[in-house]
Amino acid sequence: MQSNDLKVMLFLAYKNLTKSKITFMVIVAVMAMSFLSITFFASIIDGLGYEFEEGMIRGQTGHLMIEPQEDELYISDSADLVKDIRRIPGVVGVARRLDASAVARHETIEIGNPVLFIEPENEKDVSDYWNSVIAGEYLSKRDTDELLIGANLVKSYAEEGDTQKRFDVEVGDRITLSFSNGFVKEYRIKGIYKTGSRFVDDKIIVNFEQYQLIFGSTDDIASNILIALPQRGMEGPYTEQIIDLGVSEQINQWQTKMGAVNQFVGSLQITNQITGTIGLLTAFATIYIIIFINVTNKRKQIGILKAVGIKKQIILGSYVLQSLTYGITGVIIGNIVMKLLLLLLSIHPLNMPIGPVIPILTTERLMTTSATLILASIVAGFFPSKKAADENILDAIFGG
Amino acid sequence: MERTIIKTEHLERVYATGAVKTYALKDISIEIEEGEFVAIMGKSGSGKSTLLHQLGLLDKPTKGNIIIDGNDVINISEKERTRFRLHELGYVFQSYNLIPELTAIENVYVTPMARNLKKEEYEKMAEEVLTAVGLKDRMYHYPSELSGGQQQRVSIARALVNKPKILFADEPTANLDSASSEDVINLFRKFNKEIGQTIVMVTHEKDEGEKADRIIWVKDGLLDTDK
Repeated sequence: MQSNDLKVMLFLAYKNLTKSKITFMVIVAVMAMSFLSITFFASIIDGLGYEFEEGMIRGQTGHLMIEPQEDELYISDSADLVKDIRRIPGVVGVARRLDASAVARHETIEIGNPVLFIEPENEKDVSDYWNSVIAGEYLSKRDTDELLIGANLVKSYAEEGDTQKRFDVEVGDRITLSFSNGFVKEYRIKGIYKTGSRFVDDKIIVNFEQYQLIFGSTDDIASNILIALPQRGMEGPYTEQIIDLGVSEQINQWQTKMGAVNQFVGSLQITNQITGTIGLLTAFATIYIIIFINVTNKRKQIGILKAVGIKKQIILGSYVLQSLTYGITGVIIGNIVMKLLLLLLSIHPLNMPIGPVIPILTTERLMTTSATLILASIVAGFFPSKKAADENILDAIFGG
Repeated sequence: MERTIIKTEHLERVYATGAVKTYALKDISIEIEEGEFVAIMGKSGSGKSTLLHQLGLLDKPTKGNIIIDGNDVINISEKERTRFRLHELGYVFQSYNLIPELTAIENVYVTPMARNLKKEEYEKMAEEVLTAVGLKDRMYHYPSELSGGQQQRVSIARALVNKPKILFADEPTANLDSASSEDVINLFRKFNKEIGQTIVMVTHEKDEGEKADRIIWVKDGLLDTDK
């Protein structure tokens, strides 16, 4: 192909595009809508999955979770270990916890519940309990007779029609905890928390020191130590640095501690892949049909150009260029609108039962969707124009 | 000395629908000299347009041969036929067949543009030929902004801009009123007389045919008379 052929090709494509403004706008709008329909839904599902995981990380697991060896109940010398880990550059927070269970009682209601013993200030660095208090206040180190209670245990925060046994309590009311060793103590509700994660909002939280009081343990023990890192994806290198400290306990990354959430998020991702693939195929077909009709309508024009001596490759190239322009413009506009939507929803997240959800658009999905739609437009432009360009000139001009 | 610019030998065009064969052209052998203005006439369905399509390389005959300016144009590649149409032939259609997205001047210069000429050159060529057909003040109008007669004159300008060896016209006045028709035929006459343009025109109007140097009559796909 000569450079001059390219000039004629660009000229014909440009004239067709600029003269047929309504066609251009309609096709570009369809392309942009197709882009949005695929990416927006997928980004909500991805955001939902991310929020589920984040809820677990910020409530249950941290990015890394140190746990006792399988034949041990506790991590020993936990205070020193926390100090050592905190010295690793980049670590955002380290907090130790103790787990127990107790029967909680208020008036006539008794519920068996997990009880979490935390160090309130350290805990702020690894979890969101402190800023999830929806009534009352967060615990302080001095609170020896106070507890936090999860909203899932409080009747006034239950969904309408929910029949699960809950306490009819509010901040200031008292709850009695009876532990497995027979220790019983009455605590005042200092705050009610709600993170939005049903796996987290069913706990009773008391001060770390209470564990020694209740169980009489004097050793420096912890059930687990949570570590918060600057962001996800850095778990591997930090695990190695913690091992280098001589830690013999299990160091688990958050992904391995997700349990049912992993299955749920995995199911969401599969659903997302299926709907994404169907969406892409539908968009591909829609774009193909629209561009196909557009090019087929230009069959006569293609015949005329051939009749006056314009090379088939130039004609074909001009239509593929037009289709490519539709594709790229549509994808760019779709990207811009999507970015604006993401920006808007990052300021005003979607309120879902699990909490606020911010849609997430991965680079991979963005690239796949953009590339597929541009490919669809090229294919849709190529085949009908090739068919018309290969056609007998008289059939193309006069129909036949 | 007269020079043969078109020569056909036993030209045949058959359309086959299943087992049924329709002979649109049968055994047509003609010669046209350089600088001649030839009218091809005949009734509807006689095969006159089919003959023009074969001569203008818009279609391929089933049998026979066509020699244009000494070149065998049947046994050449499609790429060569395209090159031939661009450089050596011009075509005027009955229904103008302009590209609606291009202005008059763009419709005219798209073919010299494809010949690798510079912008100034092909724009000048287009302006000159549009001026010659009387459309100097309509160059930047789109086809939809022009009358039928004006569109046909743009079509003639497009056919002539590359200074083709032969200009083919397929019932160029069929969609025009009598005044515009006369303008078109006068233009053909002018280009034929002034620059010796070879013109082969299909028409069913006897008075238009009589303005040509020669009339070739076609009947039922056969050469009827040639005078």
